[in-house]
Amino acid sequence: MSVNMHRIRTSWHKNRREWLTFLAFVAPNFIIFAVFTYWPIIYSFYLSFVRWNFLTPNKQVVGIRNYARLMQDDNFWEVLGNTLVYAVSVVLIAQGLAFLLALLLNRRVKGQPFFRTVSFTPHITTTAAAALVFVLLLDPKLGPLSHVYNFFSIQGPRFLASTTLAIWAIIIVGIWKEIGFASVFFLAGLQGINQEYYEAARVDGARPFAILRHITVPLMAPVIFFLMVSGFIQATKVFDLVAIMTEGGPVYPSSSTYAYHLYQLAFRNFRAGYASAFAIIFFIGVMTVTLFQLRYSKRWVDYEE
Amino acid sequence: MGSGFWHNLRYNWRSGVEAAWPFALLTLIAIVLGMPFFWMLITSVKPLSEIIIYPPRFLPQDVRLENYVEAWNAAPFDRFYINSIVTGVATTLLQVIFALFMAYAFVFINFPKKDLLFLAVLATMMIPIEMKLVPNYLLLKKLGWVNTYWALIIPPAAHAFPVFVLYQGFKTLPIELMDAAKVDGATHTQTLLRIVTPMTRPLLAAVALVSFVGRWNDYLWPLIVTNTVAMRTLPIGLAYLKDTQEGGNRWNLLMAGSVFVIVPILILFVFTQKQFVEGITSGAVKG
Repeated sequence: MSVNMHRIRTSWHKNRREWLTFLAFVAPNFIIFAVFTYWPIIYSFYLSFVRWNFLTPNKQVVGIRNYARLMQDDNFWEVLGNTLVYAVSVVLIAQGLAFLLALLLNRRVKGQPFFRTVSFTPHITTTAAAALVFVLLLDPKLGPLSHVYNFFSIQGPRFLASTTLAIWAIIIVGIWKEIGFASVFFLAGLQGINQEYYEAARVDGARPFAILRHITVPLMAPVIFFLMVSGFIQATKVFDLVAIMTEGGPVYPSSSTYAYHLYQLAFRNFRAGYASAFAIIFFIGVMTVTLFQLRYSKRWVDYEE
Repeated sequence: MGSGFWHNLRYNWRSGVEAAWPFALLTLIAIVLGMPFFWMLITSVKPLSEIIIYPPRFLPQDVRLENYVEAWNAAPFDRFYINSIVTGVATTLLQVIFALFMAYAFVFINFPKKDLLFLAVLATMMIPIEMKLVPNYLLLKKLGWVNTYWALIIPPAAHAFPVFVLYQGFKTLPIELMDAAKVDGATHTQTLLRIVTPMTRPLLAAVALVSFVGRWNDYLWPLIVTNTVAMRTLPIGLAYLKDTQEGGNRWNLLMAGSVFVIVPILILFVFTQKQFVEGITSGAVKG
């Protein structure tokens, strides 16, 4: 121990300048992280064990009661279910379509840059504005789809007035925003595939679908895996779309999501402790998925370098 | 989509069905994905009477540009713009500067156990913001920052994503350059500002763009930390317009307001999309 201390002290003398420069360079970010990220995590754990309305000077420690109540809270299970339905649907549908779009864009079609720009634009469009225009677009009377409904003489679905369809209105916007984003990654992956594989397959007389199945998809596995997991985590945080399009309605919480419900609990119902328990469960979920990603991306997935 | 579009379609068609279908399919996809923008634009110039007729028309008969003036006056959009621009620019600058110094330190300066410290930085990306809302709000209240620019600018000024992207970029720089600078007796600050920064300017631009778009579009954080109309940013201002007497159900004004919100970001994107896409993909695909 003392030898160790001695070594650190001598290397401190030798490297003082270097180390101090390092600390100065990383200080701004670390100070902000410490105050607004590391500390809040610790404090959230504490808050999840109290009952508090943001106002009273004393927080009543209630142990695990918040967690116990949460397990029996119908709203918890419903918003959890909605969030998973949203995230899984957006990831599977949007990324499936994005993969096909990337295959198309990879064919060196004329106007490829134009199509790429158009498909990516939804991703950078402010969600609040996108949510508003989709309310109008999906309206069976006011939106352009009414021409389609008219043509087939059917009654268009009133997405936002239906307890089962409202979440799908939100999913549609989520898909619209995700397609171009994911296709950019897929396209980058496709363009990184060594052309020699394709030439060899063609020489062997492989059919296009066989090439797709046995060459393209396996080689794209790392990108697909990365996008699915990170897209899933991202999608579970959906908030803006719910806030603008449905506010969790038409009958709360039929289209509410985890993040939106947490916001309601904390900043509308002022249940700081209970909301924190919600936050902790969310945190544990995200950590689990992330660790799963880190673990299996090493084992199954063959990143270049 | 001018005459070149039709020429391509015809050209592809003549050269065989094989060559035509991808182009036709992409055109269809572009129409579907672009429809919200088209609908937003035409609705924003329609008189209300043309919005509520059934079935709706694709092109307005009567173009009312006054809708934009009315929308501008229906909510304090001048304030929303100032708030969005000031906080967006300030946060972006701080994010990039802080990330520049931090990434440089992690790549080029020796420090014991710096790998562990770097993990602690990356770990912040896994923390969902929902988890931090309540404690951060309490903290801002203690600091007296609620409803101030400080709250909108400082907490988001530290972000791991730009650090990570710059870290990846710095690692590809030729090490001989650093050694040459060291021999010349340059300090780390000098090396950073005179050698590393000029060499990675495109990457810095890409990182700044991604940061700015992220701040501009953010909804949750400004919703929590501001509480008066005058302090709201554009996305929340738009939601505010929806809930007012002037704006509620007047879809032409709401769409004009939406155009206010997205036009700056779309213009920025059209001119910088190459850097932007590089910004989000670097550090991800090759991670």
